[in-house]
Amino acid sequence: MNVQRSSNGKMKGKELITVGIFSAIYFAINLVFMVLGGLHPIIWILMPAFIALFTGVPYMLLCAKVPKIGAIMLMGLITGIIYFATGTFTVVILVAFLLACILAEAIRYMTGFRSSVGNLLSYVAFSVGMIGSPLPIWLFRNDFLAQIKEQGIGEHYVQVLDDLATGKMLVIMIILTIVCAFIGAAVAKVLFRKHFEKAGIV
Amino acid sequence: MLKLDPRTCIILLVIANAVIFIQRNIAIEIIWVGLLLLLLCICGAVRSAVKLAAVFTACIVIQYFVFPVAPKSVVSIFFILISYARKVIPCLIVGTLTMKTVTVRELTAALLKWKVPYSLIIPLSVSIRYFPAIKEEIGYIRDAMKLRSIRFTDKFECTIVPIMMSATTTSDELSAAAVTRGIENPCKKTSIIDIRFGIADFVCIAVGVLFIALAVIFR
Repeated sequence: MNVQRSSNGKMKGKELITVGIFSAIYFAINLVFMVLGGLHPIIWILMPAFIALFTGVPYMLLCAKVPKIGAIMLMGLITGIIYFATGTFTVVILVAFLLACILAEAIRYMTGFRSSVGNLLSYVAFSVGMIGSPLPIWLFRNDFLAQIKEQGIGEHYVQVLDDLATGKMLVIMIILTIVCAFIGAAVAKVLFRKHFEKAGIV
Repeated sequence: MLKLDPRTCIILLVIANAVIFIQRNIAIEIIWVGLLLLLLCICGAVRSAVKLAAVFTACIVIQYFVFPVAPKSVVSIFFILISYARKVIPCLIVGTLTMKTVTVRELTAALLKWKVPYSLIIPLSVSIRYFPAIKEEIGYIRDAMKLRSIRFTDKFECTIVPIMMSATTTSDELSAAAVTRGIENPCKKTSIIDIRFGIADFVCIAVGVLFIALAVIFR
C-alpha cells in the first residue's frame, strides 16, 4: 500500500474555505434529521444512525479534498459551535463530538490521509460522536424520574422510561450507528466512482 | 432598542447552559426564562419572544396538568420530548438573540478580539454565509427533479451530487476571490467594526452569574 504523507504544513486559505463549505452541507443534512428526531423519542435515538447513513458523501469528499490534519476537527468544531449558538445543543453533545473528532483525526493521521480504509474508519469514529445528542435521555434519567414522582404520575410511567432508556438500547444505538456509517461510506464510494471521479473533482 | 456586544451573547449562552444543568428548582427556572425573554423583547425580537414564551408555557402546562390525567400511551411518547424541550428553551432564547442581533461581521470581530485563530474564524464565517446558498440550491434541484419526474429511490443521489458539485466550484471561486483580497497575507488583520462592553453587557453577565449561584444554592 502506497501511503502518501501530504500533511506538510497547516491548512491555507483555500482549504479553510473548502472546510467551511463542506461543514455547512454536513450541518444542513444533520439538521434535517435533528428536526425529524423531534417527532418521537425512537427516531431521536436512531438519529445518529440516519445521519451516519447520509453524511458519508460530504465527509469523504472533504477527506479527499483536504488531506491535512485538522480538517475534520474543524468540521466538527464548526458544527458544534453553530448548534451551540442556536442553543439546540447542550454540553453533552459538544464533549461527545469533540472526542469523536479527535479519534477520527488520529485515525486519518495514522493512515496517512489517502487510504480509503483509514478514511472509512475515521468516518465511523466521527459518526459515533452524534450519539451525544440522544445521550441526555440516559444522563438526565434520574432527573426525569424525579420529575415523574414530583408530578404524582403512577409507577407504570417509570416503567415506560425504563424500557426506553435501558443499557441494551444504548448498545443497539451505538452498533446501529456503526453499521450505518459503513453503509454510508460505501454509498459515498459508489457515488464517487459514478460521478465525482468522472468529473475530475476527486 | 438595546444592542448587546456579540461576546456577551456568547457568554450568556454558556451561562444559560450552566444554569439549566445545575438547577432543580422550578421557580428559578421560570424566573430565569422570564428574564431571558424580557431581554429578547428589549433587544427587539418581540415576536420570537412571544413564540418561545408560548412553547415554554405549553411545556410546563402539559407536564404539570395534562400528563397526570392523560392516557398512559400518550405520556410515554411525549414525556421525554417535553422534558427535554423544557431544558433546551433557555439556550434557545439566547441562541435566537444571537442569531437576530449579531451579524457575521460582528461575530468575526468579536472572535478576533478573543484571539480565536484565523483557521477557525474563516471556515466558521464561510459556513454561516453558505447556508442560504444551500437552501436556494435545493430549491432549484427540487424543481429540476420535478420536471424530470425522478423516482423516489433516486432522490438522494440526485440531490447530493449536484450540491457537492456546486460546493466544489463555489469553494474554488470563493478562495480565488479571498486570495485576491489578501486572505493569505500573514500580517495582523484589522476590523472596521468597533465592539466594546457597555453597562447593559455587564448587567446581563452579572445577572447570569447570580443565577448560577442561586441554582447552586437552591438545588
